[in-house]
Amino acid sequence: MTHENYKELLAAKTLTALDAEDARTLDAHLESCAECRFELSELEDTSALLALDAEPLEPSAGVRGGILAIVRAERRAGSVPANYVSADASPAGNNVRAFTPPLKNVWLSLGSFGAIAAVIAFVAFSIALVMLWQKDQNTQRELARVRAEMNQAQAQLDREHALGELLSSPDSHMAKLNGTNVAPGAHAMIAYDKAGHAMLMAKGLPSAPAGMAYQLWYIKDNKKMPGKVFILDAAGNGTLEDQIPTVARDAAVFAVTLEPMGGVQVPTGSIYLLSSS
Amino acid sequence: MSLGVQPESAADVELLHAVARGDEAALARLYDAYRVILFGLLVRILNSREEAEDILQDVFIQVWRRAKDFDETRGRPFTWLITLARSRAIDRLRQLGARQRLATGAAQEQTETVSDALSDTIKVAERETVRQALAKLTEEQRHTLVLAYFDGLTQSEIATKLNAPLGTIKTRMRSGMIKLRALLGSQFENLGQVGER
Repeated sequence: MTHENYKELLAAKTLTALDAEDARTLDAHLESCAECRFELSELEDTSALLALDAEPLEPSAGVRGGILAIVRAERRAGSVPANYVSADASPAGNNVRAFTPPLKNVWLSLGSFGAIAAVIAFVAFSIALVMLWQKDQNTQRELARVRAEMNQAQAQLDREHALGELLSSPDSHMAKLNGTNVAPGAHAMIAYDKAGHAMLMAKGLPSAPAGMAYQLWYIKDNKKMPGKVFILDAAGNGTLEDQIPTVARDAAVFAVTLEPMGGVQVPTGSIYLLSSS
Repeated sequence: MSLGVQPESAADVELLHAVARGDEAALARLYDAYRVILFGLLVRILNSREEAEDILQDVFIQVWRRAKDFDETRGRPFTWLITLARSRAIDRLRQLGARQRLATGAAQEQTETVSDALSDTIKVAERETVRQALAKLTEEQRHTLVLAYFDGLTQSEIATKLNAPLGTIKTRMRSGMIKLRALLGSQFENLGQVGER
């Protein structure tokens, strides 16, 4: 097989689509070919970006706690193995490295069955302790999660109550804001009364980067008046109470942009939400 | 697109170094930054939230155990994490075999319901860029890449599935990836930095 033949296999390798024989011969070639390792690395970056074609999804809250519980248990047990088994035994140039089996026969080194039995008993005892500790930790985490959810639900109820009061006002107005092309899944509603007391509720906005926040704008006759800034809560919802400027209360357009955390006087970021005029 | 550390991914490199030193908080931050994109990828491959959560947990345990193996001179944290997660998922998929590949109905329905509420966690523009790049491939190239990347099929399996010569599939796969590299590399040098912040 020529060098060019090997290069033709690189893209398929990054997709784990090589058949076994091709994979073996390419791995052997990669050991000695820096050029192919370089191109493989570039193609791996490209391949990784394909992950963005998948819809982003939120895992269950318990996954995070489960991972950290296992990690803590391992730390306490003092076992962070340096030679963990890799399911994707890798070639040269790949960051994911292969498992190196231990060289020493530990059973022989223990010297006697009595020692072996003692070690087994100790390991079993340790595992039982870790399991009990994990169970307790899981219970504590579950309680904390339920409390957080209750607090969140209460806050949501308070917001809806305030919104209900606002809407029940005889002079209330309401406008719907739709997501723009940078946030097609987002939407929001703003309600305000004659006195200018306004409440915005937004859903589906992307998380703001560190140091950034969303800012509400009142637009009338092409004049853009800054409103307050807001960030999203843990559920991804954004709420805001503000006072609409007098001049903007009649026939205004509302918009939401992404701006520096403290807000700005003139919009600088992309528009994420926009009401119809 | 180039090798080595991009300024944008320096923070993730630091996090991985901290994890390698045994910093649990760094692992938690890494999880918070990448959980959504990794879980979306795993569900897309496995068609099962349960299986995907199992693999997601496994991936971050691997990160904890093997962060010291990460070498920023060889690649980006984003690529390392995605490669690790996808490798695990494809291994599981191949263990499960055709049974899982066929079980698309209920899982897909559930996936769509959840994803509506979560379009916020990945930068929309960057996802759109990848999708636009994919749209610029020929239908045959795109289909071949998707079958390999998300369905875990080998080139021979794809050739059988599509009833096409193996050589044709190899050519489509390589030309598709080369074109994709040109499209994405020229537009977004820092596209790999998509973790939630």
